[in-house]
Amino acid sequence: MFKRNLKRAITIALSACLMVGAAAGCGNKEENNNTTPAPTQAADNGNTDNNGSADNNGSGSTGNSGDAGTAEPTYTYNGALTTFPTNWNFHEYETTYDTEILNYISSGFYVFDYNDTKDGYKLVPGMTVDFPVDVTADYVDQYGIEAGETARVWKMTLRDDLKWEDGTPIKAQDFVTSAKLLLDPVAKNHRADTLYNGSLEVVGAREYLYQGTSTFTPLGVGVSDYLANGGAAENIYVDMSFWGITAADGTNYAAATDDTMVRDEAVAEGQPEDYVSAKYLYETYLGPGCPYESESSAYLGTMVDYAADYSFDNVGVMALSDTELVLVLVKPLEGFYLHYALTSSWLVKEDLYNSCITVKDGVYSNNYGTSVETTASYGPYKLTFFQADKEFVLEKNENFYGLTEDTYQTTTIKVAYVAEPATRLEMFLSGQLDSYGLQAEDMEEYQSSDYTYYTSEPSTFFIALNPDMDALTANQANVGANINKTILTVKEFRQALSFALDRSAFALAVSPVNGPAYSLYSDLIISDPENGTSYRSREEAKQVLVNFWGLANEVGEGKMYATKDEAIDSITGYNLAMAKQYFDLAYDKAVAEGLLDADDTIEIKIGTPNATSNFYNKGYEYLVNCYTEAVVGTKLEGKLTFTKDDTLGNAFGEALRTNKVDMLFGVGWNGSALDPYSLIEAYTHEDYRYNRHWDTSKEMLTVNLNGTDYTASIIDWTRTLAGTEIEIAKADGTKETFKAGSNDGVDELRFQILVALEGAVLDTYEMIPMIDNSYAALKGMQFNYYTEDYIYGVGRHGDYKYMTYNYTDAEWDEFVKSQGGKLNYK
Amino acid sequence: MSTIKYICKRLALMVFVFVTILTICFVLVKLLPVTEAEQFGKDMNLILQRRKALGYDKPILVQYLIFLQKSLLGGDWGISEELYRGQEVWGMFVSKLPATVLVNVYSMLFSVPLGLALGTYAALKKNKWQDHLISTLVMVCISVPSFVYALLIQYFLCFKLQLFPLQMNSGSDYFTWSMFKSVIPAVISLGLGSVASFTRSVRAELSEVLTSDFMLLARTKGLTRAQATVRHAFRNSMVPIFPMILGEFVAILSGSLIIEKIFGVPGVGQLYVSSITARDYNFFMLLSAFYTLIGLVSGIVVDISYGIIDPRIRMGER
Repeated sequence: MFKRNLKRAITIALSACLMVGAAAGCGNKEENNNTTPAPTQAADNGNTDNNGSADNNGSGSTGNSGDAGTAEPTYTYNGALTTFPTNWNFHEYETTYDTEILNYISSGFYVFDYNDTKDGYKLVPGMTVDFPVDVTADYVDQYGIEAGETARVWKMTLRDDLKWEDGTPIKAQDFVTSAKLLLDPVAKNHRADTLYNGSLEVVGAREYLYQGTSTFTPLGVGVSDYLANGGAAENIYVDMSFWGITAADGTNYAAATDDTMVRDEAVAEGQPEDYVSAKYLYETYLGPGCPYESESSAYLGTMVDYAADYSFDNVGVMALSDTELVLVLVKPLEGFYLHYALTSSWLVKEDLYNSCITVKDGVYSNNYGTSVETTASYGPYKLTFFQADKEFVLEKNENFYGLTEDTYQTTTIKVAYVAEPATRLEMFLSGQLDSYGLQAEDMEEYQSSDYTYYTSEPSTFFIALNPDMDALTANQANVGANINKTILTVKEFRQALSFALDRSAFALAVSPVNGPAYSLYSDLIISDPENGTSYRSREEAKQVLVNFWGLANEVGEGKMYATKDEAIDSITGYNLAMAKQYFDLAYDKAVAEGLLDADDTIEIKIGTPNATSNFYNKGYEYLVNCYTEAVVGTKLEGKLTFTKDDTLGNAFGEALRTNKVDMLFGVGWNGSALDPYSLIEAYTHEDYRYNRHWDTSKEMLTVNLNGTDYTASIIDWTRTLAGTEIEIAKADGTKETFKAGSNDGVDELRFQILVALEGAVLDTYEMIPMIDNSYAALKGMQFNYYTEDYIYGVGRHGDYKYMTYNYTDAEWDEFVKSQGGKLNYK
Repeated sequence: MSTIKYICKRLALMVFVFVTILTICFVLVKLLPVTEAEQFGKDMNLILQRRKALGYDKPILVQYLIFLQKSLLGGDWGISEELYRGQEVWGMFVSKLPATVLVNVYSMLFSVPLGLALGTYAALKKNKWQDHLISTLVMVCISVPSFVYALLIQYFLCFKLQLFPLQMNSGSDYFTWSMFKSVIPAVISLGLGSVASFTRSVRAELSEVLTSDFMLLARTKGLTRAQATVRHAFRNSMVPIFPMILGEFVAILSGSLIIEKIFGVPGVGQLYVSSITARDYNFFMLLSAFYTLIGLVSGIVVDISYGIIDPRIRMGER
């Protein structure tokens, strides 16, 4: 019996093998030649294999020959990503990876283009026929606009040839409808704040979104400052998550006067603080003079009640005709920043969008922009294939308004998910990818290749330290006796860490495409976007650098450096002698202050997101070796040790705030390259800083404005750059109100404040500049860039607009074959 | 009858274990700190209100009861909030499963017959040069991590010799020659370890059986060596091997993180880890439930299979 069963089982298994083999063998053998895997399924334009396989098999057009009767030549750009986009709905997208699709299926009211000399950028009308017109005067007594106001109501005239990919015309009313969908109070879309949280603040947007709710708004400043500035104590609410509990009504917030006791499950019944109230937390921990007052700007706030049934008619987005769109703003905005704020649009295809909405148990979700079927394009390309974590294909959208004979030669953009750098390089050398981002290990081979392009990004990577005494004391107690961490509170110690860091060597060892960084802002940060002026090129900004690196007394006639530029060129950031000197000073100071005993060992825990990244592994090794050697011959010799937490994952950025580690490296902020005035908030506002030690509401900074010294807190100076009116004090104590927003007409004073803030941030030595953010990539032979230099906003080819090709896809395949399937890029 | 009783008992226990494991998973993942809502230049309230709508502010017990009611009993596993935002987790999981299954099925079809054949051959040629050669290769394949020979296979077979594409094809036309060819490197990389494992086990079992007394009896009663080996030795040596093959079937549904990454297989290999690091609760719970269930069911199937292969083993017998 068993024998028969066994025979059957073997027969079935063999049959299965044969069937699978036969099924596999039944495929199109012509695809055999297709070394570039092509999509075999598409939703709306048939088989996208047509593009790749026809050319690859040589059965279609031979490219630019233009012979009658042959198919149009195709030009495919093959790219690779290591993280794939997942949601390219403008209302919901979160990451820059999502914009890998979104950027090409959408357009802006205004778009970046090359300037006439191709060495910079300019903003030009995109979906509009011209720049917006100020029609504020036409709306006096409406939307709270008073006579004499300007730059608050703007009229844009749209092109009359705007269309969706299926040819459906786009009218001004569609933008109004899309704004309504974006601000849907039920949806609470992730990007709803596009219309109220930045410089472009549309009237009524916030009120419409939050209608009928009460919203907690953090104070943003320390509670003492809030009260001193006229804030009312009875309006203060406590965010109960500060204590890890919720309020009695189940929400996160309770009035600071509310003495309703709430059970804290983390504390055993009968123990102290087993029940706490908002009033107790306020009076004991967060209120003025309390031990955690520094946390009050985040955990104390006010509740704003938004009226129910707020009509969308009150929102400042309206269509006057099919091509006239009007925006009403809360605050005046004009010039570059207005156009810049309109370089994207919130447009969605209403019928498709609505069909993607589901609401289950009160939870709204929308899968618009997550697949080919749920995507509609009005940009230069349309999505024709998408397979999650595998590949997406964009093809030229013939209904895009901006197509001309001279632009958008790229017919198809094919992007694959290829995680391994080694695989990407092999694909690139086989002609299957058109660019390859060089890794540290590739640099020796390709650094001088004619095909290697170096690109600098505006952001800077830092070492971030946590000099918070309470946190360090607690961490120190946890690691045992004779282990010290509190020396990090001594500024001289942090200075020593900065001087001991050989940035150039670090870059060479860890990430050779990067260069050393010496300041908060790199050369690529633009302080005057209208003219493209680099922040760092201004004399005042140079002075910050000179001061920070201790060269202030070395510049001038007869001194070591004749000019600031010469002094800056000499900066390496590495001064071992000075580092040793500061290590000794730090030791003496720590001992004198009772922080350190002679037999203590200092242990600094460095955090990294994972144990697999070469950058962090090599970086950690480098830092440990660098600092261990630097203390040789000082009083800290043999006393400085390091440990590593390489399990931080997504919590990497918050690890200093949560006191998990004492040091992070490779951290920083990107974006806002054209707006350093708002970017400074990342370094001064406690919501964004890597540590919460520095109380910028109490730290005072004196800035010389028009020859007079004025003093205010760091956070106040930051806030005024965003247009908030603050109080500044002269040396004699007299006070003035002051405002330095982008529309306050005090551009020069704004710059002076920004420069002073940069200096103040650097001077804390809590964020030590380490390396700039650069990368090197090999460019494929199939195409050409428009410019050799990377231009902010447009890159080297204007998002494919100006990319040109040396070969059609068919010719390219032939060329690669003729090279034996391997291309030489050395 | 006793077998049926045994199966019923195991099924009841399975439900208990399943719910226990899910409870532990749910509580543990919810205890992990949630990513901070504060983002530079972002209205934090939008994030907080979304989390509130999702019930993240409710006590864990309440959230768990909602999960039990909605997902486990209602079959609605919810929407992905982090990994594939806005998309149903079940749909996303199912869409990624075929690629993993395809590679794993091919891998099994490659590794099981080859492993059995090599193991049998090595056992029959025990202590001869063929056996030593196979044993050495087996040791190499077992000792070297799969990603090492995956990279070697990719470099030599795909890049240098250009025999196969560097990456698996995109699309869902799984039964085409082109697709088959594109998965061969992944299949070999994934299967080599299994081949080695089967070879080693079969060789060990068969070698032992071949020297048993009943094999001598079989030969003395007139069977040829081949007849005795196929009818008696092979059958007896299959008792521990067959559950291993069943285990391979179970592994079909779980992807290999490394191999899928190297060869661009758009499967489920990375989902579990990603769902934890991204705090995608719905995805994590779906995957936990799915793989827990598969693991438990396979455990029962494997146990029952012993009785089928060897009638002397009867589950539930006293």
